[in-house]
Amino acid sequence: MTDQKQPDSKQAQQLWQSQPVEDIKMSADVIRRRAGKFEHRIFWRNIREYASSLVAAILFAYFFATTHVVLFRVAYALFIAGLGWVVLQLHRQGSAKSVPAAMGALTCLQFFRAELERQRDVVSNVWSWYLAPLVPGFVVLTAASVIARPYPAGLVAAAFLDAVVAVIFLLVWKMNRRAARCLQRMIDELSAAENSR
Amino acid sequence: MSTIQTIPAAGSTQDELYQDAARKFGAALERLARAYEADPEIRRDLLQDIHVALWRSFAGFDGRCSTRTWMYRVAHNVAASHVLLQRRTRSQALVGLEELENLPDAASGQSAADRSQALDRLLGLIQRMKPLDRHVILSYLEGLDAAEIGEITGLSPGNVATKIHRIKSVLARQFSARGTQP
Repeated sequence: MTDQKQPDSKQAQQLWQSQPVEDIKMSADVIRRRAGKFEHRIFWRNIREYASSLVAAILFAYFFATTHVVLFRVAYALFIAGLGWVVLQLHRQGSAKSVPAAMGALTCLQFFRAELERQRDVVSNVWSWYLAPLVPGFVVLTAASVIARPYPAGLVAAAFLDAVVAVIFLLVWKMNRRAARCLQRMIDELSAAENSR
Repeated sequence: MSTIQTIPAAGSTQDELYQDAARKFGAALERLARAYEADPEIRRDLLQDIHVALWRSFAGFDGRCSTRTWMYRVAHNVAASHVLLQRRTRSQALVGLEELENLPDAASGQSAADRSQALDRLLGLIQRMKPLDRHVILSYLEGLDAAEIGEITGLSPGNVATKIHRIKSVLARQFSARGTQP
């Protein structure tokens, strides 16, 4: 470090520390109330994350209640079960979690790495917890469509639906693979920083 | 660096520990939140999240480090989570100290800038940084020494020293005496 750098960094420290602040003060009672509100906010944030799955489940429940074809009923029931599994997994591994109480015991490196690894595992395993649970429903729905409708209209409609679903699944899988690679790069950077002496 | 007493009294409760930390470090927490979030509304939420996390964390405070180290770990960890959550919506990529060292020097034409502009530029610089580098520069700007920065971040003393050297280099180039006078 050169001598001429010292005054500038000291000036930056003074500039930083002397900036005006609002001096927000919160009593322990206020904090308790805020903690309650915080958990409430986390709850609604999670509900928003699950909203699409819940809407789809309600829709399938409606189809289940209105159809009289057994095979369709089985398909819709499998979809509802699959979506229930997805929501459960979202709840267990999702990003909008409340902060762990013991985070002060972890250094920034330990905490950040654990958080990145958790998110990487969520996105890299998207096939097993998000896409695969919906496959049985689609398989039975395809079979039901082929059987219930006259040939070849039923087969064409089922093939079209399956092709669209396959493309969507492929896109979701690829996007998550890309996100996992990005997270892995960040983890590797942290590992390099941790191992650097 | 200030000589704040950071060892809590024996038998301190969670509320007392929190109140004590909030009184001593409230301003530092506000500055930290400012470095992690530019939007005032979201920043207020982030600051409240940090306070709540700090209060909750003191239930598990074991006294193995100072309350200041504990407080900074909690605050930086909450803020890092915030950066990760915002990652998908942020358009600008975050950069490391190495890339910032290669930025062009601040134009001397801006030398008439006042403290507010200098502070804005400093904030702009910090908000572009990757979380770990941001932890280090903020701790440095708050006046913490290398040992304490290492204790907070988990970086080795040598690594902290290297990063501080780079920080000084970046600050010298961006806030040189002939440039902005803070």
